[in-house]
Amino acid sequence: MALAQWVKTLTFYEILVGMKATITVLIDRILLRKRKAVTLQYPHEKRDLPGTYRGMIALLRYDDGTDKCVGCDLCEAACPSRVITVISSEVEGEPMKRYAKEYYMDMTRCLFCGLCVQACPVDALAMTREYEWAKYNKRDLYLDKEQLLALGDRNFPVREKKLEFQHPNVAYFNIGHKNLPPKES
Amino acid sequence: METLVFAGAAVVKILIVMVTVLVTVAILTLAERKVLSWMQDRMGPMEVGPYGILQPIADGIKLFFKEDIVPAGANRFLFSLAPILSLVPALIGFAVVPYGPNREIELYGVTIKPFIITDINIGILYILAFTSIGAYGIILGGWASNNKYSLLGGLRAAAQVISYELNVGLAIISVLILSGSLSMVTIAEKQAGSILNWNVIGMGHGGGIWWWVPVTQIVAFVVYVISSVAETNRLPFDLPEADSELVAGWMTEYSGMRFAFFFMAEYANMILVSCIASVLFLGGYHAPYPGTLLPDKLSWIEGIAWFTVKVYAFLFLFFWLRATLPRLRYDQLMRFGWKVMLPLALGNIVVTAIVVYFLRD
Repeated sequence: MALAQWVKTLTFYEILVGMKATITVLIDRILLRKRKAVTLQYPHEKRDLPGTYRGMIALLRYDDGTDKCVGCDLCEAACPSRVITVISSEVEGEPMKRYAKEYYMDMTRCLFCGLCVQACPVDALAMTREYEWAKYNKRDLYLDKEQLLALGDRNFPVREKKLEFQHPNVAYFNIGHKNLPPKES
Repeated sequence: METLVFAGAAVVKILIVMVTVLVTVAILTLAERKVLSWMQDRMGPMEVGPYGILQPIADGIKLFFKEDIVPAGANRFLFSLAPILSLVPALIGFAVVPYGPNREIELYGVTIKPFIITDINIGILYILAFTSIGAYGIILGGWASNNKYSLLGGLRAAAQVISYELNVGLAIISVLILSGSLSMVTIAEKQAGSILNWNVIGMGHGGGIWWWVPVTQIVAFVVYVISSVAETNRLPFDLPEADSELVAGWMTEYSGMRFAFFFMAEYANMILVSCIASVLFLGGYHAPYPGTLLPDKLSWIEGIAWFTVKVYAFLFLFFWLRATLPRLRYDQLMRFGWKVMLPLALGNIVVTAIVVYFLRD
C-alpha cells in the first residue's frame, strides 16, 4: 500500500490523471467534435426566454388607440419599490371617466415583480420580453407615458377591443355612457 | 569591410530572431486563451477577426493607447526601469539559442553561422546569468509601486526565483556532464543521430560494446520543466502574480505599455525556457529519425521545423499545466523546491557522473 503510494507520488500520478482530463476535453472538442462550447455568443445569438419571462413594463391601448389606463392608482399602490407615479385626471366632458394624465415609471428601481400588472383592473399594464435596456444616462430609464405606450405598441401589436365591446352585457365601472353598445335582445 | 559584413549579418540575424520571438509572443497570447477555453468548454476570443485571430493586434493597440499611470508615492525611476529590466533579459537570451543546423556560410570572405546569432562557448551560463536579472525587474517593480500587493508579489518572486533557479542550474549540470561543453551548439550537436541520442534517453555515450547503455536524463528533464514553469511564474507556480490573493501581484499598479512589457517578458521567458529545454534535452534541431528527409541543401528547413515543433510542444505543455493544476500554497512551493526538486537534481548529477565515468573508457 505504502509502496503503491510512493510510486504514485514519484510518477506524478494524480497530476497526470488531471492532465488527461483536460486533454480529453480538448481532443473531444477540436478533433472529435463531440463537445460543444457552452458559450452563447450573446449579441449575435440570444437565449430562448421562458414563456413567463418578465421584462420591461408597457402600457397598452385599445384597438381604437385610446389608453386602457383609467388612472386608478392601484399599480402605484401595489408597487413594492415605488417605481410608478400616476397623475390621474377626468376625461373632459365625461365626468364618470378618468384617465392617467401623466404616468411615470422609474425603471432604475423596478424589480420586475409584476405586481402592478396583477393589480391593474383593466389590464392596462403588461410585461414585455424586452431586456436590452442598458443606458449611458441613468435618466434615460425614467420613462414617461409616451415611452411606456410606445413599448406597448411595439410589443403587443394586436390590441384588445374596448371592454364594453368584448362583453356587452357586463356593466363595468368605467364605461362611458355615450359609447354604450346596444344590448342584445 | 569584413567587420561591416560581420556586423550586417549579425544585425539581420538579430532582426529575424527578435521579430520571430515577438510574433510568437503575439501568437502565444491568443493561443493560450484559445487552448484554455477549449479545455474548459468555452470559446475564447471570437470577436476580432474570424475566430478571434486578430485579437493580439487589438490587444496591442489597446495597450499602446492606454493611459500610463504612475501611482502616487511610487519611485518613478525604478517604476519605469522595472519593465525594461524584465523584458531585456528575456529577449537577450535568444542570442545563443541555435534554431537551425550548425552550418557555416562564406559571405565576402567572412564565415557566418546563419542559424544562431552568436555561438559563444558559455552559452547556457550566459542564459542563466541573464534570466536571473529578470527577477530584479519583478522585485524592483513590486517595490517601486508603493503598493502592498505589489511588494508581496515582488518578495514572493524573489524567493521563488532563487529557489527554482538553483534547480534549473543543477538539472542542467548533468546535461553538461554528458556533452562536456557549455556551448548550446555543441550540446545540440552531441545529440545528433536519432531520438535515442537525445539527452532524455541518452544513448550513445558509452564506448565500445556499451554504446547502447542509456544515460537517461529524464529526471533532470522533469526537474528542469517543473523548475522552469516556476521560474517563469506560470501556473501552478504563479504565486508572485496570484490573482485571487494579490490582485495581480507585482503588476498591480502597471498599465499601458509598461504592463505590456511585463506581459511580453513573461511570454518571451516562456519561449526562451522552451528553447533551452528542447536544445538541452530534446536534441534541439535534430529530427527524431536518423539524418534528414530533405536533400542536404534544404535540410536546414527540416531542422528549423523540428525545433519549432519541439518549442511549441513545450509551450502547449505550459498552457496544459495552467488549465489543469491549481496554484500551490507558498509553503508547498518552498517545500517542493527545496525538499523534492533539489535532492532529485543533486542525486541525478551524482548518478550521471558515476555512470558516465564508467562508460567513457
